[in-house]
Amino acid sequence: MPVPIPDSVSYVLLDEATIERRVQEMADEISVDYEGIHNEDFLLVGVLKGSFVFLADLARRLTVPHRVDFIALSSYADSAESTGAVRLIMDTRADVAGKHILIVEDILDTGYTLRYLYRLFEARQPASLRTAVLLTKPDRRQVETPVHYLGFSIPDVWVVGYGLDYADRFRTLPYIGALKSRVYEK
Amino acid sequence: MSMFNDIERVLVSEEEIRQRIAALAEQMNQIYSDDDPPILVCILKGAFMFLADLTRQLSFRHEVDFMEISSYGMGTTSSGVVRILLDLASSIEGRQVVIVEDIVDTGHTLSYILRNFATRKPASVRVATLLNKPSRREIDVPVDFVGFEIPNEFVMGYGLDFGEQYRNVPYIGILKPEIYQEVDQA
Repeated sequence: MPVPIPDSVSYVLLDEATIERRVQEMADEISVDYEGIHNEDFLLVGVLKGSFVFLADLARRLTVPHRVDFIALSSYADSAESTGAVRLIMDTRADVAGKHILIVEDILDTGYTLRYLYRLFEARQPASLRTAVLLTKPDRRQVETPVHYLGFSIPDVWVVGYGLDYADRFRTLPYIGALKSRVYEK
Repeated sequence: MSMFNDIERVLVSEEEIRQRIAALAEQMNQIYSDDDPPILVCILKGAFMFLADLTRQLSFRHEVDFMEISSYGMGTTSSGVVRILLDLASSIEGRQVVIVEDIVDTGHTLSYILRNFATRKPASVRVATLLNKPSRREIDVPVDFVGFEIPNEFVMGYGLDFGEQYRNVPYIGILKPEIYQEVDQA
């Protein structure tokens, strides 16, 4: 039985089939680019909590062997608006030096978080460093960071589902929906 | 060389996993409601794929949280004491909790997590595991939602690894004996 659309969601921006198709295309592209790299040398780094759904779907569609690792971040202020200051809660378990690193992120908004991650890994001298981002909101960008694999470019609306939340809610909706503005405008 | 060459046979197919998770989600949909939203706690790394597929089919409000643990030495000791690398982001006091595991084997790790959580005074704790190996059990642990009871075989895929490999295989497979024997001797 399909999960009912919550009252707080005004419309579905990207449905399940659309996301699935795009993630498959991204996986195909990544599989070609990383062909021939040994399992021990290719590491997907998922950023918690938001990217776990994207990571789960992307990883199982890759035809190249790889390892999976997680990193947990938190912003300092408990506000919706990102200020750029990021706290590392949990680092990767694997040593990334000399490895091919692919950062897997759910959404690129202001760009501060991805820039933080990019610099963090860059300093650890990986063999290569790339980013796979499901969603980008170009209108919100404050700082630029290279994105090598992109799912969708979306307008500046508050999106939830497929890993993305609003105050820890709606994170596991199987599609990406736009939140009604009355939910976040107080 | 493909990672699929190391697999002797498929134990649980993608389609079987999909159908079983839908049934588990339905079971949980009968128990939980929006009035008292549970926190689903994913035990990393193994359970992330199960979590991603399970939660997308839940019709009640819920939150997800993550815990990453590591054993101190080689394997799990009978005390089950583990190192918590990433603790929960939120408090579970007074909340309903569902621990989401990929596999319950000896039961020591799960037993430790249950004892640890009991000190945090949750309203209830239930356990959902994709795989259960009752023949390996050394300590009694309650398991409320079970995907599949499996024999004592060397399984991998769908989040489960062997030496950090094969996590992204989309089904549960049994590894060729020469693969794990090689490593045992190394």
